[in-house]
Amino acid sequence: MITRELELYHGPQHLGMVGNFSITLSVEGDTIVEAKANPGYLHRGFEKLMEYRSWTQNLTLPCRINVVEPDSMEMIYMMGVESLARIEVPERAQYIRTIVLELSRLASHLFGAWAYANMLGFDTVAQWAMAYRDFVLDLFEELTGGRVYHIYMCPGGVRRDLPDGFEEKVMNFIKTLADHVPDFDAALFENKLFYKRAKGIGQISRQEAIELGATGQVLRATGMAYDIRKVEPYAAYDKVKFEVPTREDGDAYSRLWVIHDEMIQSAHIIMQCIENLPKGKVYERTPNPFKWKIPKGETYVRIESSRGELGAYVVSNGGKNPYRIFFRTPSFTHGIPILEKLLKGANISDVGNIMISLYVVPPEIDR
Amino acid sequence: MNEELAKEIIDNFSNTGVSYTSKYRMYIQTPKEELFRLLEYLKDNGFNYLVMITCVDWIDENEFELVYQVGNFNTPLRIIIQVRIPRNDPTYKSIIPIFKNATDYEREIHELFGIVFEGNPRLIPLFLDNWQRFHPFKKDFDSREYVKNTFDSIPTLEEYK
Repeated sequence: MITRELELYHGPQHLGMVGNFSITLSVEGDTIVEAKANPGYLHRGFEKLMEYRSWTQNLTLPCRINVVEPDSMEMIYMMGVESLARIEVPERAQYIRTIVLELSRLASHLFGAWAYANMLGFDTVAQWAMAYRDFVLDLFEELTGGRVYHIYMCPGGVRRDLPDGFEEKVMNFIKTLADHVPDFDAALFENKLFYKRAKGIGQISRQEAIELGATGQVLRATGMAYDIRKVEPYAAYDKVKFEVPTREDGDAYSRLWVIHDEMIQSAHIIMQCIENLPKGKVYERTPNPFKWKIPKGETYVRIESSRGELGAYVVSNGGKNPYRIFFRTPSFTHGIPILEKLLKGANISDVGNIMISLYVVPPEIDR
Repeated sequence: MNEELAKEIIDNFSNTGVSYTSKYRMYIQTPKEELFRLLEYLKDNGFNYLVMITCVDWIDENEFELVYQVGNFNTPLRIIIQVRIPRNDPTYKSIIPIFKNATDYEREIHELFGIVFEGNPRLIPLFLDNWQRFHPFKKDFDSREYVKNTFDSIPTLEEYK
């Protein structure tokens, strides 16, 4: 039998592909010889667009960079503006931001669990995860008026206070989700089929992960307890207690377990924030948006999004518009160098498995 | 540790300035000849993680500013290195021999700003397809003007009839 190399286009129109992204694979039989990531299907040039708009007009743009988890993108832009303009955020707003960010992390992880379970054929678990994500979206709708894009944060705090009875609804949701965790565990995480399908897939060592620029659960799955919420706390993360879950093996199985444990920690953080929610105002007044100029300078701010280190490098030349904004998104390194590395030598049927376990979101790569 | 590191950098590298904006951010301005030695020095001192590379187009000063950021997993300190290169001769050396994951950041800057990184084997299009005319993130590219010129000329539905 003669084996020869074939070029195979995986995505953007492919059942095993999540989002608008494509990979060009060179295959020999079923084995991938070489993989080349091909992003750009969602390149909208947000960084350039933001240079044309004032600091206040830009509030509505960054959340659109990441569809799955818009609140982290909002938060990073607000932190950049606050850091350059030296605005202090009231304590109550910090707590509310923490609640919103953690709810958003839950929604994002549930979405990830849906994608992974769906790809493996665990349709029931996938539907459960999607249904619970919908409950989070309901909460967001009540809080902000929007289900997907919230635009709830503003420089100096959040737009408005929590509605009456919102805390109770969040607690109810967390209780319902917590009651359901054993079902998730039995059906997916402790399932032998999941173990067989995910164990050893897309394995990366800690050294390689650092060399290729991994952050977030890709790094934590290799045994490194690195979490920006602990290392350089922002919002109210220095006032809550939580653990940084890790696993040792660096494969898809470990990454999924890290995500599982992180959801439980998120729930703990939300409960602590609601219990200790301080009273007071929720935003600091900012100047007239038409005349607002931000002092000259540059800053780099970073947060732990549900995928890893999300950063923004913001440059102001003292004008009404940002001079340059660069978003350092975790999917950029996970989706291009690490994905290409892990696909080399893998089986064609594992492409989706590896990509979803790395938690790559294509709009975040393209920006 | 930060003060010692800052002092050593000023002592060992010529024309290099160090400043802080906050306790966890160190900014280093260095001439373009010193960058490689500086990155290697920082890598030996535990800053073994390349966080990002980006570019700022300072059109009034006729210069591109390349921004490299390195991190260390044992300290929250981040070091941001700013290097200026002339705008009319946008070539620079690739840092792939020091940090492997620089490939795609340099590829992005090559595409959006037109800077050529010598030694990068993969300066192929990243986001933009069939786009050889100009580099869209440069300040002298007006995207509104471009949209107007490109898309206003498309006939409307009425004109088709």
